[in-house]
Formats: sequence, structure tokens, C-alpha cells
Amino acid sequence: MHTLLEILIGGIANSSLYAVMAIGLALVYGISKVFNWAYGSFFTWGAYIAWFLCVGSFQFGYTIAFIVVIPVMFLLGLSVEKIIIRPLRRQKGWEINTMMATLGLALFLDSLARLCFGPYMKSLPLFLEKNIQLGSFVIGLHEIIMFLTSIIMIILLEVFLQKTWTGMCMRAVSQDKIGARMVGIPANKMFGYAFGMSASFVGIAGILLSPKYFITPGGGWDVLIKSYVIIAFGGVGSMKGTLYGAFILGIMESFIVYQFGSMWVMIFWFTTLLGTLIIRPKGLLGTWE
Amino acid sequence: MRIDREIIILLVILSILAFSPLFFHDNPYVLHFLIMCLIWSSVVAAWDLIVGYAGIFSFGQLAFFTIGAYAAGMASLYLGLSPWLGILAGGLLAGLVGVLLGVACLNLKGVYMALVTFGLHLVLAPLLTLGRPIGTGGSRGLLGIPELELGGYCFSALEKVPWFYTILVISFLSFFFIFFITRSSYGLAFRSLRDAEPFARSLGVNGYKYKVVVFGISAFITGIIGAFYAFYVSSVSPRMLGLDTFLMVMIMLIIGGVGRFPRVLAGVLFISLLNEFLRPVEQFRSLIFGAVVIFSIILMPQGLIAFFENKFFQRKKNLAGGKKKLKDTQL
Repeated sequence: MHTLLEILIGGIANSSLYAVMAIGLALVYGISKVFNWAYGSFFTWGAYIAWFLCVGSFQFGYTIAFIVVIPVMFLLGLSVEKIIIRPLRRQKGWEINTMMATLGLALFLDSLARLCFGPYMKSLPLFLEKNIQLGSFVIGLHEIIMFLTSIIMIILLEVFLQKTWTGMCMRAVSQDKIGARMVGIPANKMFGYAFGMSASFVGIAGILLSPKYFITPGGGWDVLIKSYVIIAFGGVGSMKGTLYGAFILGIMESFIVYQFGSMWVMIFWFTTLLGTLIIRPKGLLGTWE
Repeated sequence: MRIDREIIILLVILSILAFSPLFFHDNPYVLHFLIMCLIWSSVVAAWDLIVGYAGIFSFGQLAFFTIGAYAAGMASLYLGLSPWLGILAGGLLAGLVGVLLGVACLNLKGVYMALVTFGLHLVLAPLLTLGRPIGTGGSRGLLGIPELELGGYCFSALEKVPWFYTILVISFLSFFFIFFITRSSYGLAFRSLRDAEPFARSLGVNGYKYKVVVFGISAFITGIIGAFYAFYVSSVSPRMLGLDTFLMVMIMLIIGGVGRFPRVLAGVLFISLLNEFLRPVEQFRSLIFGAVVIFSIILMPQGLIAFFENKFFQRKKNLAGGKKKLKDTQL
């Protein structure tokens, strides 16, 4: 019973971060209908920049890392949208072409990371090494910070999308691109912002997750695939569905790792996903078209 | 009429290739290069059938390839099946998996489809590693797969010429099979479902049937090629599912131009050559590949051949009335 609860707590902490990553991916897809395969490489780069600042060359703290990573990743996302995605939108089969171009970008960014930082694993220190004693439970403070940061980020995004002018413009573009253009919303700018925001989201996730695992040049693929499964499971275009998906699959993952080993995670996830999609072809709460 | 011209060009290229062992019979490096080119050509052609003609975002092609390879390897290692029957078994098992995948995905579209097919690819590697009890050989894979033999003649790893002719015949058959499908009523149905699904369905085109059929055919061909590959390299392992191979084959498809069957093969040749030329600068290889993919999609979305054709015949088209210019500015 005791171990089960500990696994559950670890699972919840991981799931909250999965939710952040999945929402970042879903944000771009929901607004611009572009499926970004380079998302995992953004994750890797966010983690590497933090490593560079905190361990590699300087000894800055995490505050500086966050201050630097968020705008840098935002700019990276923005420029990717502007340089690669925007010219492709004019083409006929842009849906598959953008998929493939971002796939190429992922290859490019990953090998650039390998060239810059070497193929070996890097690790970041934990935020706080301390543990908290709650009755007979021991919870790492790092996990609590991870959980809280993720929840705050999700809430901030939701408030941004619901309350601010830019957020509303973004939702308008996602609902009807032509209609939004007619009333004077610059759709291309909104796509750019969505890309930038998603990149900074996953950059933050990179900083938060890397102390628990390691940073490798190809490590982003795991993140991409997990986020991908989560949004498809929860339903593309539904924030609530993505949250449910992240928590269901994340908690499931930690039990599977405990019971069978990490090799089985993908097999179980895939079977769950396939079963769900056969019954509900648009995921749990999918609303999109 | 262009269709006929293209297939004739393909025929000519294949028949020129048939004479190439005359010049390279003592050069295993070139023959190996040509064999690998033909292997990937058939895989890319089968992939193009799903992605380009049926318009289904399928990322499971290398999974079919690996399933075919493992099935053939296990059939000949454990069941003692003749290698040729093993190749057929590989194709049939991959085709069966393809049909099952098609049935499971009947109602899925777009991104969901891409995910489920890519999921098959991702799940296969751990399954094969964990499948030691049923004889997949764990992470090491299957070693010592017996060689092909034909009428008492045993193919050896050193003599590449027989292998070359075998794969030439296999890919010839698969190219023409795919060609006739794309030009038959099936091809028409695939394309109509791709371009206007509701309309095609309202005219009585059975979307479910064609989805299953296209998965079955494509997986069957890929499985056969995978089985041949298993005999050719005489070992298979879960490493075949690595991201590098997957991306390389996908890049071939992109550079060749999705949905333009005989032309798509130009991408295979281009990428294989690039791969060989980049061998001295191995560490920059994937960097350059990535950049090539991005720029080629932005600059030549219709593929390599169409790009040069447009460049070459640009003036002619402009003289013909300049309608194309107008269309561009309208957009």
C-alpha cells in the first residue's frame, strides 16, 4: 500500500509535466493545424541551454536559466514558423509538407546539438535536494516544485487564452482562419506566437524534467512521442482531454515501470490508445472536426 | 501520354541496370550500392502508394519491412522453410499485419492515422527485444540466417551478382505491380478518396475496403523486400527500426516527390549518392540531411524531377500564355 502510494505520487508529478509538454504541442496544432515533429528537439535545446548556463560554462542558478531559456525558445519558435512553415503554407499539400519539413528540422537540430555538446549524457542538478517527510512518506522537494510549476503554467496559459486580447485572437484563428482574417486579425502573427509559446513551454519542461533524467541529443524523441500519444488519446483540440490523457497515461506509466519495467510502457500506451481510438476515433474528448 | 513515357524511362533504366554487373562484377562496393538502392526503391514505391496515392499519413513502413525480415528469418531458421517460401512468408505476414492495421484504423484520419502507424513502428522494437521466448533473439536479433539457393546454386555473401539479379527481378515485379495498381480502377479509387472523400463515398466508392486493400498491398510488397534484405545481410535486429534508417527512407520519399510514382525513385538515387559522398564527413551527415530536407521541401515541393522539369521548360510554358503566373498572384 505504502509503495503504491509513492508510485502514485511520482506518477502525478511526472504527469503534470507531461500535461505541459502535451499542451505545448496541442497549442500549435490547435491553432495552426501544423504538426510539429521538431517539438522534441526544442525540448532538448531548452535543456541544453539550461545545462550550458548552470553547469557547462557558467555556474548560474536556475532563475537565470529560466530568464534566458523562455525568450530564447520563444524566438526560436517564432523564427521557425517564419522561415520554414510560412512559405510552406502557400503550397497545395502543406499538411504533409510541414510534417516532413519539421521532421527535417528535428534531424538538423538534434545533430547540431550533438555537434555542439557532444554525444554523451549531461545532467542538471536537482532544484532542491531536500525531501519532505509527510507522516511516513518521503517526497522529493523537486517533484513538488515540478508539479506546482506545471500547474501554474497550465493555469496561466488558460487565463491567457480566455482573458487576454491576443489569446482571444488566437482562439479565433483556430476556429476559423478566414473569418478571423476578415475581421482584421493577423493570422500569420498568431501562428508565430503559438509556435513561440509552444517552444518556450517545452523549453521549461526541458529544464524541469532533465534533473530527473539525462540530456542526450536524441532524447527529445521520447518527449515528442509521449506528447503525441497523450494528445491523440485525450482528443486533439481539447485542453481538458489533454489534461485527462496526461494524468491517465502518466500514472499508468509509473505503475507499469514498477511492475514490468520501462520496456513495456510504449506497448501498454499504444494498446490503450488503439483501444480508445477504435471506440472513439477522435480520442476521449476530441472535438476538432 | 506522359504516363507511358515515364514507365518507359523506368523500363530503360532497369534494363540498363541489368547490364551493370558486366562492368562491376569485380566491384562489390558498387554492386552493394545498387542492391541497396533497389531495396529502398521498392520500399519507397510501396510507401508512396499509401502516402501519395491513398493520401493516408502512414509512418509504419519500416515496421512492415522489419516484420517481413523477421518472419522470413524465423521461418527459415526454426521451421526449416526454403528461403523462397520464407520470402513469401515474410510478405504474407507483413501483409496480414497491414490488413489488421488498416481494419483497426478504419475510422481514423490525418494525425491520428499517422500516430497509430508510427506507434506500430515504436512498439515493434521493444516487442522484438522482449520476444526472446518466442525466438526473436532479443536485442541481438537473429544471426546466421541461411542464404538463398536456386536449383542447387548457393548464393554467397561474397558474390554479389546473383543477389543483384534477384532483387532486380523482385523490384521489377513490385514496380510494375504498383504501376498497374495506380493506373487501374483501384488507383482511381485511392486518389478519389484522397482528394474528396465525402464525394467519392457518395458515388459509392467503398472507403473502408480501399483503405484495407492499400495497407495490405503496400505491407505485402514491403514485407517481401524486408525478407530479401534479411537473407542478403543474413542477420536482422531491432536496430533496423532505428530512427536514422526511418528518417533516411522518409527523406528519399520527400525528395523524390510524394504521389508521383516512377519519379519518386529519383529521390532514392539522390539520397543514396549523397549518403555515399558524405561518408568522409560522417559527423555532419545528419546535419546536412536535415538541411537538405527543409530546403528541398520549400524550394521543390513537387520533388526533384518536377523541379528540374519546371526549370527546364519554364520558358516554353510562359510563351504558352503565362496563365500560371496569374494563378500564383491570385493566391
